[in-house]
Amino acid sequence: MGFVENMIKKSRLKSPWIVHFDCGSCNGCDIEVLACLTPMYDVERFGVVNTGNPKHADVLLVTGTVNHRNRHVLKQIYEQMPEPKAVVSIGACNLSGGVFKDSYNILNGAHTVIPVDVFVPGCPPKPEAIIDGVVTALNALAAKMGLGPAPGAALMPGDEDAPKAAAVG
Amino acid sequence: MLSILGALGGVILAPLAGGLLSGVDRRLTARLQSRMGPPLLQPFFDIFKLFGKAPQATNAWLVFSAYIYLLASAFALFIFFMGGDLLLLFFVLTIGAVFQVVGAICVPSPFSQIGAQRELMLMVAYEPILILVFVGFAMCTGSFSIADVFKLNTPLLLKMPLLFLALGYALTIKLRKSPFDFSASHHGHQELVRGVQTEYSGPFLALIEIGHWLDLVLILGLCALFWHTSVIGMVLLVAASLFTEILIDNITARLTWQWMVQKQSLLVGMGLALVNLLWLYVA
Amino acid sequence: MMNFLVFCCVVLPFIVGLTLYCVQNSSLRAMLVPTAVVVMALAAIGLGAGGPFHMEASQLFGLPTDAVFTLLDFLLLLYILVLGWNLRSRLVMGMTALQLIGMAYLKSVLMAHDIPVTGFAPDGLSLIMVIIICVVGGLITIYGLGYMDLHEEHLHLRTSRQPRFFAIIFCFLGAMNGLVLCNNMSWMFFFWEVTTLCSFFLIGHDGTEEASKNAFRALWMNVLGGLAFVSAMLFIQKSMGTLSTEVILQKMAALDIKSTAMLLPFAFLCLAAFTKSAQVPFESWLCGAMVAPTPVSALLHSATMVKAGTYLLLRMAPAFAGTTMSTIVALFGAFTFVGTCMLAVSQSNAKKILAYSTIANLGLIITCVGINTAASMVAATMIIVYHSVSKGLLFMCVGTIEQRIGSRDIEDMRGLYGVMPRTATITAIGIFTMLLPPFGMLIGKWMAIEAIARAAQAMTPILFFIALGSAFTVFFWARWAGILISSPSLYEYPVKGFQKPTVIFSLRMLCCVALLFSFISPVVLKDFVGPSVEGVYARFNLRVEGFIPGANFTSVEGYSWIYLLFIMLALGVWFAWRMSRKVPEKAHALPYFSGLAAREGDEVGFRGPMNVFEPARVSNYYLTQYFGEEKVTHAIDVISIAFLIVLVGGLL
Repeated sequence: MGFVENMIKKSRLKSPWIVHFDCGSCNGCDIEVLACLTPMYDVERFGVVNTGNPKHADVLLVTGTVNHRNRHVLKQIYEQMPEPKAVVSIGACNLSGGVFKDSYNILNGAHTVIPVDVFVPGCPPKPEAIIDGVVTALNALAAKMGLGPAPGAALMPGDEDAPKAAAVG
Repeated sequence: MLSILGALGGVILAPLAGGLLSGVDRRLTARLQSRMGPPLLQPFFDIFKLFGKAPQATNAWLVFSAYIYLLASAFALFIFFMGGDLLLLFFVLTIGAVFQVVGAICVPSPFSQIGAQRELMLMVAYEPILILVFVGFAMCTGSFSIADVFKLNTPLLLKMPLLFLALGYALTIKLRKSPFDFSASHHGHQELVRGVQTEYSGPFLALIEIGHWLDLVLILGLCALFWHTSVIGMVLLVAASLFTEILIDNITARLTWQWMVQKQSLLVGMGLALVNLLWLYVA
Repeated sequence: MMNFLVFCCVVLPFIVGLTLYCVQNSSLRAMLVPTAVVVMALAAIGLGAGGPFHMEASQLFGLPTDAVFTLLDFLLLLYILVLGWNLRSRLVMGMTALQLIGMAYLKSVLMAHDIPVTGFAPDGLSLIMVIIICVVGGLITIYGLGYMDLHEEHLHLRTSRQPRFFAIIFCFLGAMNGLVLCNNMSWMFFFWEVTTLCSFFLIGHDGTEEASKNAFRALWMNVLGGLAFVSAMLFIQKSMGTLSTEVILQKMAALDIKSTAMLLPFAFLCLAAFTKSAQVPFESWLCGAMVAPTPVSALLHSATMVKAGTYLLLRMAPAFAGTTMSTIVALFGAFTFVGTCMLAVSQSNAKKILAYSTIANLGLIITCVGINTAASMVAATMIIVYHSVSKGLLFMCVGTIEQRIGSRDIEDMRGLYGVMPRTATITAIGIFTMLLPPFGMLIGKWMAIEAIARAAQAMTPILFFIALGSAFTVFFWARWAGILISSPSLYEYPVKGFQKPTVIFSLRMLCCVALLFSFISPVVLKDFVGPSVEGVYARFNLRVEGFIPGANFTSVEGYSWIYLLFIMLALGVWFAWRMSRKVPEKAHALPYFSGLAAREGDEVGFRGPMNVFEPARVSNYYLTQYFGEEKVTHAIDVISIAFLIVLVGGLL
């Protein structure tokens, strides 16, 4: 069974299927996420498949401002993903609420609802940054399986109060 | 005895072939879209990953159906390798298809249920064609046995070219390729989330996927029977069919079911099959 | 010995029926019914084990049987005449009067000095039918005990009408046994008319307006069939001088060229069989019959009534083998098959789906009869046997479900697995025995397709119809099976104490019979069906076209395929079941619903605006815009009437 287990471990890093949830962004981040699938960036090179279904996905990409109405949705989508899984939070709004931070109807970031592994800041982040975020999320997955060190945090200047997790960009 | 072992070996090796073909498919598709595409072994990575995921199910019948689907596909392939009866093969294929539908309907999810309804439409479209194609075989060889095909001296393609085209329709539907992929499209595409496969996840989705590979091998095998006299011919025919399928997949849009059942499959597919059968009957 | 067994199968049910009618005591009924059923079943099996035989039966209780039957024929026709008068129906009265005149002419002029005819000459087919009637029909009767109690409770009847109900059911079974066993056509006619009358009473049993209307429709359509039967007897007596089935078949089979005059009576017999088997355009009486209590529909659809028509055709088939008429019959059957399969797709009423599927399968049987080769006969017999078992089971299941959830609509059966897991599973098994290999029905269908593919005439259009119809069959069965076992929970557990013991017993018993019978299908084929058809072909010196019936199938290789498939599937089902039971409860997840899935009780839906729970409702595709009854029935009727005109008129 050693072979199968090794294959499974190896395959987890080679076949990250993503599901993309937009909590209500201006669509800037979403366009950049979808740009990753185009021939220009072609994330299928890394085995990435954009599924429409959390039950099939390994990596959750979240964009947009999380608010009180959609946090249940976000939480359920996260819960419906079978283990092992990782979450990539994309864009300023999703990281912290962005320009809407501390509004009465806004939660300040997806990390307040679900455990986030990787933050990709930007308004919107470039596709390269998003791809890098997914790859970093895979490293985080590998670390969870004990296959290597957890990716270090790369903080932006002035981000000292950000949650303790890897950030890319 | 040897033939049984051979057939069993074939069934065991078939997922490898099916996975590779699927890898070729994904890569070719990517190239047709001027992308790099995934590694050739990507389907295997996907399957192993899926097996490593935690099980999750809404309903125990879903799990049951996934296993039966895989079993039926494997048994159909076994019949094929043993040179068994074409009608039996057809009926066993139906078991798999029916359980895929049952598995999708037994979960109260609108996506998979509508997917199942559409899958039934697809079955209405391809089943008659398959029966007519098999009858064409029987008219040429005098029996429904696959082994008897190899007793003929001329390729069947010469006698039933239209039936081969009709089989192309069934092939497209079975492979879930555009324009006939409205019940559940394959990797990278979405229709009704994932149609009949929406509620399968992790290891159970992997079972369905392997069953799909087996179906792929089986149907390409049926295509190969049309040029049984030479190995090169078989390979050529299979390669040509697969490439045509991938090309069609990439250059056509998805059809609605009305279009598909009424105009495409029933009229054109059945028409082709009927003309060919009448021709065989007269000849 | 044979005398006694035949007595048990044919006369005993009438006596039991009469006793039940006179004795109104329910506890006695609860004892007498199962006992009688067991005796009949044992007698039937005894008959079947003995093989074909001849029996004169010239005396019944010391009276000359022929005279008794003549008297009974007239009494019965007179009774139907009176019935027509009471119903104010000129149609029924007119047709019955014509039958009376025909019978009178037949008995007084044509048969004035007639050589005696062998009373009973059952061949393999008859014996198979007797076993089916007694075993399946018997189980349905036992099921009726529990069902009717609940049924009458729901109706709040002051006095139970069960004595009448069971009396008629037993007469029905006896008449069916008589019909398939006897050799003399004028006796057969008596039993034929008794089944008509019994079905009329049973369909109208509940006495509602709809029931009376549908019962009347069944009556006039079957009286039309009776008229065709009488006409056929007249022509046959005139041209052949005998009414013995055996002799008729021998004479017909010996003819090299069958003239139209010789074939005409058989066209009439086909017409009679089509009415009884509810082929299009007569399908409406069988669809209407579902207003009756479930045991009645189960009986009509599985073991009795509709099978009488196909039995008659199968019996008479050698007479018109190799004629154009036979081809027309085959085309007609294939057309019925595809037409009613389409209609079944458009239905959500479970009993109607079953009804149309019955008619479709009868159409398939008739196609096989029309193909008229040894192989197709074997296929037809196989389908008769396995269809009876599975259809009886399915009807009983629908009745049980209806009594529990108060609906027979398949849309209302969503989540039934949570309410009554065992019945839902048995129903699903019943569906799979109708639909999937390696069960008997599919083996019959398999052989039918083989036989058609090897047929000489009109193979392509028939095959086209059958292929198309088969696809529709999958369409309406598969979705129903899925609905039955649907549930939002990972596992469900049965609740005890809801069902009557007789109901549970019959359901499980018939389910086991269906599975077991399918398992031994190669044996059934080789030891019963095959020899029966071979016997027919040997007796009448018919040519067997190069192809031995079921050769592919009864050979060692064919056997091993079926058993291999059976064992593989049994192991697979066991393994899949085990694996599905291993999924831990914590792995349960609600279905994907865009992150909004919510569950309340047994309903799954989503949280809508204002945090209100909205159940998700999905419905099947019924394609009513294409296959709806009002869209298609008319066209089907027109085409099928055209077929009938060609069938009868082509000969005139």
